[in-house]
Amino acid sequence: MYVGMNLVKAPLGTPLTLVSAADDDGAAHRLASLGLRVGSRFSLIAKTAGGGRVVLVAGTRVALGRSLLRELRAEVAA
Amino acid sequence: MTISQKELGLNPLPLLTPSAKACCSAEGGVGAGPGSPVVALVGAPNTGKSTLFNALTGARVTMGNWPGTTVEVSRGVWKSTARTATCECEDCDCDASDRPLDTTLIDLPGAYSLDPLSPDEELTRELLLSGPLDERPDLSVVTCDASRLTGCLYLVAQLCEKGLPIVIALTMMDVATKRGIEVDTAALAKEIGVPVVAIDPRRRSGLDALAATVRDTLTKPAPTPRPVPADADGLAIEDDRFAWVGQVVEAGSGAVAQNARTLSDKVDRWITAPVLGPLIFLAVMWLVFEVTTTVAAPLQDFLDGLFSGPVTDGASWLLGSVGLGGTWAEGLVVDGLIAGVGMLLTFVPLMILMFVLLALLEDSGYLARAAVVTDRLMRSIGLPGRAFLPLIVGYGCNVPAISGTRILPNARHRILTALLVPFTSCTARLTVFVMMGAVFFGPYAGTAVFAMYLSSILIIVVVGLALRGTLWRNEPIEPLVIDLPAYQLPTLRLTVSVTWVRLKGFLQTAAGIIVVTVCAVWLLQSIPTQPGQGFGEVSVADSAYGVVARGVAPVFEPAGFGSWESASTLIVGFVAKEAVISSWAQTYAVDEPEEGSEPGDLGSAVMATFTESSGGHPIPAALAFMVFLMAYTPCVATVAAQWREIGAKWTLFGFALQLVVAWTLAVAVFQIGRLLI
Repeated sequence: MYVGMNLVKAPLGTPLTLVSAADDDGAAHRLASLGLRVGSRFSLIAKTAGGGRVVLVAGTRVALGRSLLRELRAEVAA
Repeated sequence: MTISQKELGLNPLPLLTPSAKACCSAEGGVGAGPGSPVVALVGAPNTGKSTLFNALTGARVTMGNWPGTTVEVSRGVWKSTARTATCECEDCDCDASDRPLDTTLIDLPGAYSLDPLSPDEELTRELLLSGPLDERPDLSVVTCDASRLTGCLYLVAQLCEKGLPIVIALTMMDVATKRGIEVDTAALAKEIGVPVVAIDPRRRSGLDALAATVRDTLTKPAPTPRPVPADADGLAIEDDRFAWVGQVVEAGSGAVAQNARTLSDKVDRWITAPVLGPLIFLAVMWLVFEVTTTVAAPLQDFLDGLFSGPVTDGASWLLGSVGLGGTWAEGLVVDGLIAGVGMLLTFVPLMILMFVLLALLEDSGYLARAAVVTDRLMRSIGLPGRAFLPLIVGYGCNVPAISGTRILPNARHRILTALLVPFTSCTARLTVFVMMGAVFFGPYAGTAVFAMYLSSILIIVVVGLALRGTLWRNEPIEPLVIDLPAYQLPTLRLTVSVTWVRLKGFLQTAAGIIVVTVCAVWLLQSIPTQPGQGFGEVSVADSAYGVVARGVAPVFEPAGFGSWESASTLIVGFVAKEAVISSWAQTYAVDEPEEGSEPGDLGSAVMATFTESSGGHPIPAALAFMVFLMAYTPCVATVAAQWREIGAKWTLFGFALQLVVAWTLAVAVFQIGRLLI
């Protein structure tokens, strides 16, 4: 079953919808409190040093590391 | 596997057990006195909370455009109603709401929610929710960033569920407006059911309205708790909160999400970029230290001339006119206090420049990006990206940096970071580097100082890797999650305020330590060790100080600075690096009075000592000395901070580690250097 792409492979500047949260409960909760939870609409707006991305979600810019990006899965928003 | 702090040999974190108005007993600052209302400042990191605290109390805590700045509870008196009160009479029948009322204001650590993931958030939860009702704050002011409401309202949802009296202080309205977000405070207040006041703590606007609202709310009963679904599990409750947050945002700003691209986003594409980002970071750091060394130099020269000339001459004349000329009293005043403390004060311009630049970087929002850029470097030594925050603070001063390790959720990461912080080259060490650079490297002084900072980074990486491969093997690393504040034009008021606070702190710390150190050094230098010599009439080499230093000096012979003069200043440097140059000046001034040696001749005296002790290789010996100075124990205050944060065992381990690393590197630098130079 297709469950979206991990965020390392997701395109920049494209509206995305999160379909799978982080494995780690603490990280998942922190992201959720910032507005990034399953079903949230967001976009990746920049690559960062070390392979991370800047995520724009609900008006908040959050820099995420590469390891976390691999855990999160998203699909292109309708 | 969860490892308890006890198992790690840690002191328990200083979480506060609420007691009678527990928040009032929290460390730091003063309160408004018994019976006064207690208001807590809470909110997500980087929402202007600490800046608001300073604006309201006039007290000073660390503040800046930086996630997790507030790591300890600060409190102060908020004369919250003085400006709005109309009654100025005593023993009158005026309405209570018209009388001035002082409030104890507590600045709690930043928290995204009441579900703690770090000691900071744990502390905030403890202070707000634990203990009997009458021991909690009477009201909480929750700072919310108007440009990113969603990220701030989860905490508000939880506070409302507990029925806690709150007032929302809406910050960053200007940023929201620039992003096309129009926040309707009245609609927001109606939807949440609590007062909402728009403020700008950076420019101190809206504070009177906030004071009036807080005062009004304090007189009202606690609000009805926001209902949560009955019999719901944790997930359902979370869903309910997020749905509520969505409703509130929609009602207050007309949009569930604000994902418009801004100028900040465009800038970030360059600033945090994979290759360019680290290059920009290095360039910024280089610029900071180049400016502090070159711009400050003429000002330092002026002040140096002032203290070593007119001030010294004036003091000598004054003491001579009251019959104390040529006595030990003149030695203490001229060779101790003026030569020592006076010389320290000549570095004030350097400190001001450094603090201004750091304040600008913080206030502009760049330092948060620097944490992102350096995440990979941190990860390579087994630390999460946010560990960069205390480490970069360490380049200003190690003491707050050690306290700053509390922003790390994992106890072992906190220990590792606290062990690495002393290797960050603080501004006190910079003063010695600048002086050594000018003496030994002439026009290349700036580059030599910059090399020390690069070496500092290298040492952190190497020591970090070594610890990661041994004691910290298989340690999981928290993933990088860091919210990026909008870039802002730094405000003059905030920059000046932060600079003054840090300068004052530096001088206060330095002054206390220096006076004790300089007097102790002078005392040791005055105690004779040979028969027939009187107190204060002995050469430094024959004094108790010289004997101690001479006993230590052979340890440094392989590093090229095995003279007793160099060893003695390193002993003083353990107390405080601020005292290194003053101790040197004092040593040489006392040691060679017949030749009219003064602090102004310090450079040539130090050069001669290094030339002799290194067998004609002063440059590699000076480099080795600088490396040793950078790597060994920064100061007693840092040791005290470590003791408090990571316990005695790890502090002693760090102490030994620093000495071993410093000595090994110094020997390697000198032995290799003398083959090349």
